[in-house]
Amino acid sequence: MMRWMRRGFRRRPHDPERNAAEYVSGELSRRATRWFEAHLLHCEDCWREVLLGRLGRRMAEEAREQASASLRDRVRAAVQFTSEGGPAGPSAPIGP
Amino acid sequence: MGAVDLVYNLSRRLTDRRQDAEDLVQDTFLQAFRAWTDHRRPKRVKPWLATICLNLARSRYRSRARRPSEVPFEEWMVERRSGADPESRAVQEIEREQLYRAIRELPEEQRVAITLVDLSGFSTYKAAEAMGTPRGTVLSRLHRGRRALARLLGDRIEEVSR
Repeated sequence: MMRWMRRGFRRRPHDPERNAAEYVSGELSRRATRWFEAHLLHCEDCWREVLLGRLGRRMAEEAREQASASLRDRVRAAVQFTSEGGPAGPSAPIGP
Repeated sequence: MGAVDLVYNLSRRLTDRRQDAEDLVQDTFLQAFRAWTDHRRPKRVKPWLATICLNLARSRYRSRARRPSEVPFEEWMVERRSGADPESRAVQEIEREQLYRAIRELPEEQRVAITLVDLSGFSTYKAAEAMGTPRGTVLSRLHRGRRALARLLGDRIEEVSR
């Protein structure tokens, strides 16, 4: 990362929410991550936000669901029906 | 995550009933198909699909989502029949039920940010594009949602273990 970017990160106002959100989402650059991890060692506010953010993210990931095969079939059939000139499709006749 | 799973997860977080979520998935793909055949084609498909789904949910399903949630009897039966031994199934059901309820209790904008980033694997840049908001707003909603979820579930785990 360029030096000015690292300075830019350091110059940011102390914002535990934003920093924790970016860190937990893995969106900080490598250098910014190193800086933030060093900062976490002595900043209770940021550390608490990171712990809550991690836990919340893990919980949210647990709620992931897969669409059923029947739903996939239903979507495929609806799109196919529409493409063949079904009533909801773009090529549907306007009048009787 | 595939496109159907992405739209399904988003729909499940935007509606109370599975049936409504499935209807929303179908409507999203039909609208996307119509736009596609009208030559309104996006550079990136997934954020585009997410935006269509969000807009449809806002316009069509908002009033329905305000009704008290009801689970159809068949859905209730199917969910309880599947799984391993009764004990671990009961634990899983409690945890899952708590998890879904906790997510449903979040404000809609936080729920959507969490669904796009944590469930669907969008970057906050793509989520901002799909939601039509600045990235800073997405980061803030995302973190507040995660924090609320962690606290809600933490409180419930304590209640259960007392």
